[in-house]
Order: sequence, then structure tokens, then C-alpha cells
Amino acid sequence: MQLARRQRRAGFMGLTPLIDMIFLLLLFFLLGSDFVTYGQSRLAPPRGTGGETSAAPPVVITLGVDGALSWNGQSVDAAFVRRETAKLTATNAEQMMVLMPAGAANVQQVTDVMDALQGAGAQSITLERDVFDIDLADF
Amino acid sequence: MQLKNPRREIKSIDLLPLINVVFLLILFVLIAGRPSTNQPAGLEVARSTIASAHEGAALSVWLKQDDGFYLSDIKPVTLGELADLVVEKGIAAQGLPLELIADRRATAKQLLAFRRAMARAGVGEIRLKTELTGGAVQ
Repeated sequence: MQLARRQRRAGFMGLTPLIDMIFLLLLFFLLGSDFVTYGQSRLAPPRGTGGETSAAPPVVITLGVDGALSWNGQSVDAAFVRRETAKLTATNAEQMMVLMPAGAANVQQVTDVMDALQGAGAQSITLERDVFDIDLADF
Repeated sequence: MQLKNPRREIKSIDLLPLINVVFLLILFVLIAGRPSTNQPAGLEVARSTIASAHEGAALSVWLKQDDGFYLSDIKPVTLGELADLVVEKGIAAQGLPLELIADRRATAKQLLAFRRAMARAGVGEIRLKTELTGGAVQ
């Protein structure tokens, strides 16, 4: 006996839950993602990484609230700092650079000076409140 | 005279192009974005032009615009508490680096105080998180 096979009718598949889920996924990734690229600067180098050449006297750079810079006590501009840093680090890559910002200066100003020093090749940069705080073990 | 208003026949909208576009958006966000880092929404880190890879650290401390140090969004912590935590976690003993996520509007006074307090606690390396700008140079 041959039974007639009943043909199944394909039902309509609702797409609304799928679209809901996709939108939720999109929202999750949009809110949970970061499109900014981050980097980092060292406020103090790792301890004891300096070699024998690090015994050279440090260069003390001060930063005023208004962005004014001084190099070992002499008022200078950012271009001078970059130029002199490049000269010094060309002969001594581990030249100590001590940055002493004014307390009221902001973090962005400090970062800008550190950028200038790093861009000129300085590797050993440290932040200090005053010269008496300099710890040679940091270099 | 009454005109017959011809009724528009509503056709079903094809949803496949919509789904395709949304999937493409998800792919774009997945590829172009990175999972968010742990910093509060209102904190704006300093901008830097020096390209340097951001590496994680044993402990991240936030310095917000109000010049307060935070480990979480809840309440500020003192430098003494942070120094104790660094010792307790063995960060100083193991020579691990510390990360400071500082708001660009915070004062350098706090930056210096943090640097000094952590140096006293035995932390050698402190990394300041920065946001790389378009003109970042190596």
C-alpha cells in the first residue's frame, strides 16, 4: 500500500527577532568599543637601567604655569629645548633630563614638554618637584 | 463629485539589504574598535604626539580633573592608601610598573606628589597614559 506523503508547507520565518538581536549586537559593540589610540609616557624610568654614562650632570628644565621654559636656570623657548636635547642625546643617549613643572601647571603642559624631549631623543626623563628630590637610583 | 481614493497596496519590505548593512556595520565596529579601557567617561587623558605602544600595568590609578586619585568611580583614595596597596600587592617588590591615567586638566602638583609617593613606596616605573593624536611620530 502506498501512502500519500503529505507535503509540508514551509512556514514564514519571522525576521523581527533576528533584526532585534543584530541591532543589540551593534549597540553593544558601538558602546563597548574605543576608537581612540592610546600610548604612554614614562614619568620615571625603570630603576637602575642607567649605565655608567648616566653620571653626566642632569639638565634641569622648569615649566611655568604660563608654559615658560627654562634650561638650567636660563629662560628658553621650546625650539631651544628640542635643539639642545638633540645635541646632548646624540653624544649621550642616557642623558638625564629633569623636568620640574610648576604645581599649578596642568598635565597636558607637562606631557607637551615630555613629548618635545622624547622627540629630540631623550630617554631618561624624570619629573621632580625640586632638585633636592632627584634620586640617582632612578637612572 | 466624489473621487475614488485609490488605495495603495502595501507590499512587504525586503529586509535582507537592511540585515546586510547592519552586519557590515557590526564588522566595521569589530575591526576598527578595540574593547574599552578601564577609565571613567569624563576623564580626558593628555594628548601626545609621540607614538608608543600602550601596555598594561599591574595597577591603574586615575587622576581626575578634581585632582583626586581614584581606583574606581566610587571614592577618592589618598596617596598613603595607594602606597599601602602597592606594598600589599607586591608591586614594588616585584618591580612591576604602575599606570597613571591622568586627566589633562589636573594639576602637575598632583602628578609630582604621586611620583614622589610611589617612589617612596618602591615603585620605579610609572607610566602616564596618553591619547595619541593624528600627527604622532615615532
